[in-house]
Amino acid sequence: MSEKQLFRIYKKPELQSSSLVVGWSEDAGKLGPKVIDYLNKKLGGKEFAEIEPADFFSLGGVSVESDVAQFPESKFYWCQQKNLVVLQSYSPRSDWHRFLGAVLDVAELYCHVKELYTIGGMVSLSAHTAPRELLAVANSPGMKKVLSQYEIARDFDYETPPGQRPTLSSFLLWVAKRRNIAGASLWVPVPFYLVSTEDPQAWRITVEFLDKRFGLGIDFRDLDEEVARQNEKIAQVRIRFPEIDDYIRKLETNLGVTQEENEKLVKEIEEFLRKRD
Amino acid sequence: MGIRLYKKPELENPVLIAGWPGIGNIGIIAVDTLRGMVRAEEFGEIESWDFFYPKKVSIRNGELKDLEFPSNKFYFVKTEKKDLIFFIGEEQPTEGGKVYAEGTKAYQMANLVLDLALKFGCRRVYTSGAAVAPIHHTARPKVWAVPNSEDLIDEIKSYENTVLMSDIEGRGGQGAITGLNGLLLGVAKKRGLEAICVMGEIPVYLQGFPLAYPKASKSVLEVLTVTLGIKIDMQGITALVERSESEIERLYERFPPEIREELDKLIYVTYTELTESRPITDEDKKRILEDIDKFFKKDSKED
Repeated sequence: MSEKQLFRIYKKPELQSSSLVVGWSEDAGKLGPKVIDYLNKKLGGKEFAEIEPADFFSLGGVSVESDVAQFPESKFYWCQQKNLVVLQSYSPRSDWHRFLGAVLDVAELYCHVKELYTIGGMVSLSAHTAPRELLAVANSPGMKKVLSQYEIARDFDYETPPGQRPTLSSFLLWVAKRRNIAGASLWVPVPFYLVSTEDPQAWRITVEFLDKRFGLGIDFRDLDEEVARQNEKIAQVRIRFPEIDDYIRKLETNLGVTQEENEKLVKEIEEFLRKRD
Repeated sequence: MGIRLYKKPELENPVLIAGWPGIGNIGIIAVDTLRGMVRAEEFGEIESWDFFYPKKVSIRNGELKDLEFPSNKFYFVKTEKKDLIFFIGEEQPTEGGKVYAEGTKAYQMANLVLDLALKFGCRRVYTSGAAVAPIHHTARPKVWAVPNSEDLIDEIKSYENTVLMSDIEGRGGQGAITGLNGLLLGVAKKRGLEAICVMGEIPVYLQGFPLAYPKASKSVLEVLTVTLGIKIDMQGITALVERSESEIERLYERFPPEIREELDKLIYVTYTELTESRPITDEDKKRILEDIDKFFKKDSKED
């Protein structure tokens, strides 16, 4: 497949000096897909391009998740009024550098993107009731300066521990840096017992930042309701299962839980939250 | 996608010796030990980002400073008899979750390695890896050698402690070399270069363990140094072999006595020249490997 066929453009968006927000489909607390869907819904995002999957994904069938067949999609949407582009994509399984190059080709050539933000959840050992803090990694001093205007944790050091690999967001930031595109990866801690389900509080804090950064004028009432609904459900689990309440209380007081308690907590919360209303 | 050269050394008909990680890390230990002993100097690398997922990110004060990829480096040295180029790859480029190099990326990598070799006038390539064999770990590993041209067979026959595929019982000269060790041989043939893959034997029952097997690397080194006309001090690799043997002995002690008894029969096997009594059959080997597999699965549950 030639470079020209890596992506397909349905419509050329009319954007200048726009910003790109990237969310990965497989994310802790469904942060990536939920935030991207939310932005598209609120801002009237229109699909205009996609990256062809054949070079980057194993297409020997489909995986099934939550009873539904999945297919690896990488779709771009544009929100003209806010000069914003959003990408929701599965993480490629191979040829990552070429894939990320294709993402930036679409962003630069067709949308004139000048800065990008990736969003992602990171597993946290804290309780869902603990205050959340948005963390950010910049790919340039200029972007760090931009971030300094917001309430974000941004002065930390980190190195990939042995046996682990960097995130795809870090890879994208690095590729963007080499192309002189300012970028930042945004990270929200997601309590470990919400990683496989949903974490509306993580969605809210991410959208809140994007709202401030791009002046989106978002009415947060619906997200606040989702957060309240989730908290209420977990409160019910705590009432019904004193053991679970005890574990969460331990996390709230920074006592930590054993491996066995950890597993029980994950199992009970996931089961309860997955029950459809 | 390309090669970055830090300098352009003047080399005369250099020989390329390439190594990658694989079973028992036999090839890469041999090649890297040789590179270290002859003090070869780094002079270039293949830009890795097109082939690999990064291995490490460094963030300082909230800013992404560096993204590190598996290295793929070239080294050179001018010895009394020959000029040498080494290529050492930290990983093999894989596609779709495969263990060994395969597909377009692997082919591109093999061509890039040979692009550099040809640029410096190289006509001979060596790759090195593992040969899984029905041997006991107390035996001295032989070296299996596979050339990419019939013209090299006589030369290989002159190597000490080395066998050709046709010397191996039941193979009839057939076989397969997985990953870049094999692919480089093929691509070299396509591009008109002589190439030989030298593979050190690893006991069949150790192939699945995440253990280095420097004893086989030493055998490979012995062949390579003679072929290249280089003398090196073997003390370092010998010490490594001794440490590894103690580790393997400890592992072996954990095998159930009945399995050890069966495996000990391998001490008497000369599969390239079978003894009359044939103390261990292919069926035996299969059963032993299944027993070991079952034993360690059970053992890991008990830990």
